[in-house]
Amino acid sequence: MDIGLTFQQLLNGLSIGCVYAIFALGYTLIFSILRIINFAHASVFTLGAYFTYFLIGGKFGFNGLLSNGQLPFALPFLIALVVGAVLAGLVSMAIEQLAFKPLRNRGADPLLTLVSSLGVAIVVVNVIQYLVGAEIYAFPSSVLSGLPAAVNFGNADRAIPIRTIQIVILAVSVVIMIGLTLLVERTRTGKALKAIAEDATVAGLLGINADRLIMATFFLSGFVGGLAGTLVGLSVSIAGPYFGIAFGLKGLAVIVLGGLGSIPGSILGGLLIGLAEAFVPSSAIAIKEAVPFAILFLVLIVRPQGLMGRSLVQKV
Amino acid sequence: MTVLLDVHDMTRQFGGLVAVNHVSLHVNEGEIFGLIGPNGAGKTTLFNLMTGLTPPTSGKLSHRGQVITGLAPHAIARRGIARTFQNVRLFGNQTALQNVLIAQHIHGKSGMLASVLGTKRARSEAREAHERAMDLLKLTGLTYHQDSEARNLAYGDQRRLELARALALRPNLLLLDEPAAGLNPAEKRSLSDFIRRIRQEFALTILLIEHHVPLVMGLCDRVAVLNFGELIALGNPADVQHDPAVIEAYLGA
Repeated sequence: MDIGLTFQQLLNGLSIGCVYAIFALGYTLIFSILRIINFAHASVFTLGAYFTYFLIGGKFGFNGLLSNGQLPFALPFLIALVVGAVLAGLVSMAIEQLAFKPLRNRGADPLLTLVSSLGVAIVVVNVIQYLVGAEIYAFPSSVLSGLPAAVNFGNADRAIPIRTIQIVILAVSVVIMIGLTLLVERTRTGKALKAIAEDATVAGLLGINADRLIMATFFLSGFVGGLAGTLVGLSVSIAGPYFGIAFGLKGLAVIVLGGLGSIPGSILGGLLIGLAEAFVPSSAIAIKEAVPFAILFLVLIVRPQGLMGRSLVQKV
Repeated sequence: MTVLLDVHDMTRQFGGLVAVNHVSLHVNEGEIFGLIGPNGAGKTTLFNLMTGLTPPTSGKLSHRGQVITGLAPHAIARRGIARTFQNVRLFGNQTALQNVLIAQHIHGKSGMLASVLGTKRARSEAREAHERAMDLLKLTGLTYHQDSEARNLAYGDQRRLELARALALRPNLLLLDEPAAGLNPAEKRSLSDFIRRIRQEFALTILLIEHHVPLVMGLCDRVAVLNFGELIALGNPADVQHDPAVIEAYLGA
């Protein structure tokens, strides 16, 4: 076995797995509190990538309302990444305000909310298409200016080059995963979120402002979603307005595999699926997309609650 | 005597049902005030109005002279009004200690970053919160259950845990919805002493709904009687007990 190749595959798998994980954390944050899956998350992911592309001074094509649109300035990539994610977070908050909160306040069935979020996803995708067309946008290779395109992990005789982009993705994702875990486990806000998840009425009677914290959760969810969007866009390209939807399905596989509502579960699920995809041999590349779902089916047969989920039996 | 909570001409309708019908009463600072009445008299609805869970159809609610009608439950809780439920509502998946800790949420000061980084101040704040929670668990006799998940506690323990959690909010007004329900006779007797003790220790005003008449008569400074949503008697326990309207409501005409 070629150690160099294995190492490359391992790092690629970890890097894409990390993106899956932070993207899936966006679903998980909302699910763990409201017990709903926010399908619009996939469209926020897409938006994040477009925001960052625009902020680094990227130019749009000639198909949409914003044809040939370009900012008069260009932000450095890392700043654009964060600002783009913040904008994605704000969109996510708007979605909560417009699509989720009104239904929740009327006590609507979670299934209705789910369909409503699917509707939001489609609206966002169409708005993107209306504004900037359906073409593929790629981040210019100069985006990480000052950094070499690849880092050699081998030696002069046997080079094991790893794309710098993969390392950036890995680093950003690890920071996000650790940050979110600490936020939920260590802070008062995290504990208040757990209380809201269990009984929002009682949490309110203990002085906890559930609406405000749910809003903050939607922001965080959109923020990590937007970040993931940019990172994937950077790694491959922004493959049109529907770019997030296929990715969104994979994200669903990750959260079900990890266990709905579990933060460590989402991280584990993301890494597993990323690694599995990376180790699909090139001869079998045609079935690469099927691998996450094959893993999902196998795991669910043994553990229907997912890898880190609470047992389903105790729900009465 | 200072008025702590003033209920002025409050009404709540649910469709055609008038659950609370033009009720006016006030609770003085430091008193133990009993709210009694047959099932369906509107007692719990009145509690829900006082805590903001149910908005009134009409009427006005004031706390320490400020109108709080229409405030959200969390805003009312932050003014120092805490409650327990007739059918205990705990965070079942969390331990007894966590249940009490979470009620101190609004008193925490350390920011997100400080908590994540575990700064000296954040740690000392967490330690103080932990100590206070342990004191409350000790007060309610739950020290040995601190790490048990709330849903696994015995019923009486759950009731006491809910009380400990309400006290952790550091309220000035405590609303107890049938605190003696489901307790055995010995527990009922010690409950009276306990309520008096916490009023003293935490400088509380207590408003309680109770069916157990001896408990109400022995404990309360004043009693209000509701029947079909209307206030039919209000006064000291001995007078209320002999009020013909009250006797009629309980025994039927």
